[in-house]
Amino acid sequence: MEQVKVTVALIIAVLLQWTLRNVAEPFAYIDLPLIIVVYAALQRNAIRAILFGTIAGLAVDALSGGLLGANGFSKTLVAYMVSEIARRVYLDNLLLRIPIIAAACLIDDLIYYGVHRLLGQEPVGDVFVIIAYTVIGTTITGTLIYILLEQLSLDKPRGGGRRKDSSSSRRQMRRRNPIKLGK
Amino acid sequence: MTPWLMVALLLFNFILMAFDARVDGGHRVIRVWTQTAADFVQSPVTTLSTSIQTYFTSISTLRSAQDENSQLKQRVQELEVEMEGTKDLATENERLRGLLGLREESKFSILPARVIGRDPSVWFDSAIVDRGSLDGVKLNMPVVSEGGIVGRVTAVGPLTSQIDLITRDKSGLGAIVGEVGESNSLGVISGTSERDLLELRYVAGSVEVKEGQIVYTTGQDGIYPAGLRVGEVVEVKSGSATTPHQILVRPSSRLGSMQEVAILLYEPPAKQEFEQKLTK
Repeated sequence: MEQVKVTVALIIAVLLQWTLRNVAEPFAYIDLPLIIVVYAALQRNAIRAILFGTIAGLAVDALSGGLLGANGFSKTLVAYMVSEIARRVYLDNLLLRIPIIAAACLIDDLIYYGVHRLLGQEPVGDVFVIIAYTVIGTTITGTLIYILLEQLSLDKPRGGGRRKDSSSSRRQMRRRNPIKLGK
Repeated sequence: MTPWLMVALLLFNFILMAFDARVDGGHRVIRVWTQTAADFVQSPVTTLSTSIQTYFTSISTLRSAQDENSQLKQRVQELEVEMEGTKDLATENERLRGLLGLREESKFSILPARVIGRDPSVWFDSAIVDRGSLDGVKLNMPVVSEGGIVGRVTAVGPLTSQIDLITRDKSGLGAIVGEVGESNSLGVISGTSERDLLELRYVAGSVEVKEGQIVYTTGQDGIYPAGLRVGEVVEVKSGSATTPHQILVRPSSRLGSMQEVAILLYEPPAKQEFEQKLTK
């Protein structure tokens, strides 16, 4: 069910990314597909995250004046990096996820810009301004979306509480065992 | 498994990028079909947002509508009188052309189009319009708006087309300060790091260029027809006999907020055989 939720979120994010800039220019500074790709990476499923990164990136690139594959490249790399960090560090707290979104957005922008410069393409506009606005816009929107997605996850199963109880009792057992062995 | 999958995907994306950078201006299959699919989302969203905007704009302008209406009625009457005079002139012009043996030169027809999508990435400024190959649109056709030139078609799907704006650094269109035939300040227009400024390069430093002068296309780039308005000179850093001027031009068309554009169904004259060999 979680997979379906994230996949639907990614499809909606791509569709909104395609359309929102034509409604109002400031929406261009929000990278919605990246937010969902990072969310998928934080679920510690690296394969799904990097596949999402490539697909979402290519979908955005196809309607963009930039190089086809540039967003796919940067988002794939970012997804892998975030999923590797999420495997090693505890990132289930929303407050810890905020800097992760900001850092992911910054890295994504730098890779995107670098790849274009490498292949002789000059993006339009002031690089620092674009990166600053994108990081701010994406981080704020990402935080709100994560709250929404977490809320949707919490509302679903009623048996979640029971599962939590059983796992906590297992943890208590594990804590007691070494003492017994020591005796 | 995961690192290998990532490497494979990165390689795949890199190959796509390298290929895309190489075939700039050619047919782009992935883009074309994604655009066609996106059209089913973009068109309704654009229609909805435009109608909401129009509704609120119409409420705000309702107050002044009555005054404007009476002014316009008066203007229509004046124009009708003017039009009668113009009709006479057109008839006379046609008669004189016939006498001189000149043919009516219809260079190109115009296809109105609606902007249904803007570049989803903030780094570039392309646009998607609701006209495609089924309407007769072809690659590299020029696009204009009420102010002047907007850009050219870079990808054509059956229902939609992608336009690269003239603000892009690779736009490179032949331009002249002043009317073609009256001025010799020829140069090349290209994008700058600022979204609403263009640079006119290679204009000889010995030629006089002033701020406020209008820049037109020359037709020498093989894409845009001659005589289309590009913009207005806003800054000139004078060159010398050996160095060119540094000229900044503000585009005439409002590129940031355009809703309606027109595609010129114009195909440039075929290149000479030796020119074709040079471009290969």
